[in-house]
Amino acid sequence: MNFWERLGRIDRRIIYLVVFLGVIIPILLKVTFKVEPMREVKQAYEEVEKLPPGSAVMISIDYDASSMPELQPMLVAILEHCFKKDLKVIMLGHWPLGLPLGQIALDKVAKKYGKVYGKDYVFLGFRPGVAAVMINLGKEIRQVFNSDYKGTPIDSLPVMQNIHNYNDIGILIGLEAGSTGDMWVQFAQARYNAKIILGATAVVAPDLYPYLQANQIVGLIGGLRGAADYESLVHVLGPAYLGMPAQTTIHVLVVILIILGNLGYFATRRRK
Amino acid sequence: MRREVPLFITFISGVLLVIALFIPHKPFGNLEQRFNDWYIIVSGFTMILGIDSLLLHHWNRFKRKREGWIYSIALILAFFITLIWGFYSGIKVGSPFKPNSSFLKYFYTFVFVPLQATMFSLLAFFIASAAYRAFRARTFDATLLLTAAAFVMLGRVPEGNRASVYLFGIALLIAAVILLLEAKERVSTFEKLIHYLGAIVAIVLIYILYRVLPSYLPQIADWIMNIPQLAAKRGIFIGIALGGIAMSLRIILGIERTYLK
Amino acid sequence: MTALSTAFLFLILQFPAPPQNVRAYDTPNDAGNSITITWDLSLDDSVVSRYEIYRSRGEPSVDSAVAAGSVLRGSTKFEDNSVENNTPYFYFVRARADTLYADSKWSAAAYAKPQWFHTGRKSALVILIFFGILLFYYLQKAKQGAELYVRRIAGLEAVDEAVGRSTEMGRPILFILGLGFVSDIPTLAALAILKRVSKKAAEYESEVIVPCYDPVVMTAAQEVVKEGYMEAGRPDLYNERNVYYLTADQFGYAAGVDGIMVREKPGAVFLQGLFYAESLILAETGHSIGAIQISGTTAVTQLPFFIAATDYTLIGEEMYAASAYLSKDPLSLSTIKAEDVAKMVFIALFVLGVVLETLAVITGNQSFHFLKNWFALF
Repeated sequence: MNFWERLGRIDRRIIYLVVFLGVIIPILLKVTFKVEPMREVKQAYEEVEKLPPGSAVMISIDYDASSMPELQPMLVAILEHCFKKDLKVIMLGHWPLGLPLGQIALDKVAKKYGKVYGKDYVFLGFRPGVAAVMINLGKEIRQVFNSDYKGTPIDSLPVMQNIHNYNDIGILIGLEAGSTGDMWVQFAQARYNAKIILGATAVVAPDLYPYLQANQIVGLIGGLRGAADYESLVHVLGPAYLGMPAQTTIHVLVVILIILGNLGYFATRRRK
Repeated sequence: MRREVPLFITFISGVLLVIALFIPHKPFGNLEQRFNDWYIIVSGFTMILGIDSLLLHHWNRFKRKREGWIYSIALILAFFITLIWGFYSGIKVGSPFKPNSSFLKYFYTFVFVPLQATMFSLLAFFIASAAYRAFRARTFDATLLLTAAAFVMLGRVPEGNRASVYLFGIALLIAAVILLLEAKERVSTFEKLIHYLGAIVAIVLIYILYRVLPSYLPQIADWIMNIPQLAAKRGIFIGIALGGIAMSLRIILGIERTYLK
Repeated sequence: MTALSTAFLFLILQFPAPPQNVRAYDTPNDAGNSITITWDLSLDDSVVSRYEIYRSRGEPSVDSAVAAGSVLRGSTKFEDNSVENNTPYFYFVRARADTLYADSKWSAAAYAKPQWFHTGRKSALVILIFFGILLFYYLQKAKQGAELYVRRIAGLEAVDEAVGRSTEMGRPILFILGLGFVSDIPTLAALAILKRVSKKAAEYESEVIVPCYDPVVMTAAQEVVKEGYMEAGRPDLYNERNVYYLTADQFGYAAGVDGIMVREKPGAVFLQGLFYAESLILAETGHSIGAIQISGTTAVTQLPFFIAATDYTLIGEEMYAASAYLSKDPLSLSTIKAEDVAKMVFIALFVLGVVLETLAVITGNQSFHFLKNWFALF
């Protein structure tokens, strides 16, 4: 096997090492790239921007720790935007194991803007039965959540005053690592005409583009890139923005690997 | 009888749910919801079966000292520690699932979150190795696929358009060299001519891409995702939906019964 | 005087214009207890903070009016879900800008009623009946013994080969059912493939390991594997312990299955069912241990990963066709035949739809939208 042919059979461990270095070096060197926000992210940003102060935004945590690197920066950027604009935040979720992540981010960003629990934001928590929860939220939030995660009756919280169902929610934002986003569209949008923005991992996002084309959602934030776009739109440069150079490096590396693999392939074929 | 009764239940519930789709009036309107609730209740109990199976499996591994039995011990211990601690926090703070119950919070933040994130991040490594192995220009289709992949990968990251000029340039240059090498070995003049022509096209493409990619790559990537990608996906979706109907009818009518004993 | 009139004028200007054309009607296609109210936006919608909907029972009287709910500005529709059936209700809509507001006129009386037929789903009903007739026709044909041709599916042809090769290497077979539940059709389709695999494995006296994500699926899988061994005449070889529960955590499951692959070194790995982000983690580990891999899923996002990393992939409906294809049972095959004919009809409808919609855009004639409108569900 000569040098060219060997290019077609690089050991997987070498590939893993290259990927590892490709991620770690840009992050350690703190390289930054300017990002030009994608259209669908800009659209999402503008929909939130348009809401009058005091409107309610419902955020659903439909992911857990595994997709945290992509979706947590997205959540933080959205929360920054909401609190900066004095919007009320109502948080709930369909993935019970991800809910603490939502709460951590919510508490942290709220503190930064001096927001008060119960007055400016509320954390409702989780109720089982995804579809049933979505349908009943469309009728009356109190049918599903009569109290927040601490057990405080939501009628005693000023933030929930005048908020009964999707009609009173300015925008519903779902952060998705699986198929819960489809159900938001199916139940909250199709049945109750709720205005929805979906944020999703890069793997899930391509599945959601048809909804954007059909105007069933009003914005789509996809993957770490989407999160970085949102961060740059709200001028809070966080982990997603810093992660962009690593992502570019990896994508370039994968293309280089594909080229090398093909060189090896053609070398082997020529010998035959 | 053992076979007929379950088949009958399947038939009745299947037909009822199909009818319920068209009748909003009570009691049909919320039938699906009700069936779902029943399913949740039943499946909650089967968790006991699952736990029984898991613990027995690992207990046996430990008893027979099969390779890696030490991990089985770790599993059994972890299971009971979490369970007991869950009960303990349940009694102490009212609910084991409250994020502020100390042990589970500690466990969640310092064990669960890093473990899940680690498993997920393996994808980065596996995607690289799978792409390296699978994207070979074996046929025309495969070449099209890997070109589209490269366009999308580079078009969706910042600075990708600048990198793409060099990467596509090099790839096309290599293609031109390979075509020239191949041309030398061909006997018929026609084949030779085709190969030379291919090489020239590759060189011309380098220039075209050099002019086009820096400003239009993100649009090209978006076009690939929004038009051909979605078209193919919709085709598959429709096939799956029809296949799903056929499969469901087979189950309702009792033709397909592998899931039954 | 001038000062007073200016102040008065100022007040008038701050009052938003009232909403117009308030209509109340029974919410269509529901189980009753609901009235839908629609209106035209106030001309001053931009200064309105919200629209409040008031209803009065029996007669349009402001004294007996109660708040039914409110919506944000820019909305023109509200569903009142707290009314009694067959009782007259009257509504008016209030456009509110802080403390100032303007009321619309009363709507006409509206009665909530439950419906016996969901008119929005008539196209689905027609399709169902059409599909039913097709199915019935081909079932009859199959019963009369007609030969039904189904194209070759390479992934399914390879099932026996994979089991055989794994046995030759003296290694077990690993069957991964994915993250689906027993209510998911792909999981049921995967169980059908599992039955074939365990039957073959029993014939070759090979072992099948099935780690499960859901306890209900586990119970079903145990039965299926047992049945497979029995059909092969080797119930003695069946070991219930080989079909076991792992965890209901996605990446915990992936880690567990990867561990099994690395320890047990199966010769053949089947990845059949519903998969999410863990698909590639499983498939690449399977490839690294040198197993022959046959994957199949309806999770479209995961298909590219399977196609890249495994030897054969059953794409979507091919998976559903598996049980019929493998069993060669004429009744099962006839349903696939019916599905194919339905697909042809749909393709024809798509082409027709594209032509009609294009005509509608070119000519601006709305009547060309009839096909699209007929298919609009809900």
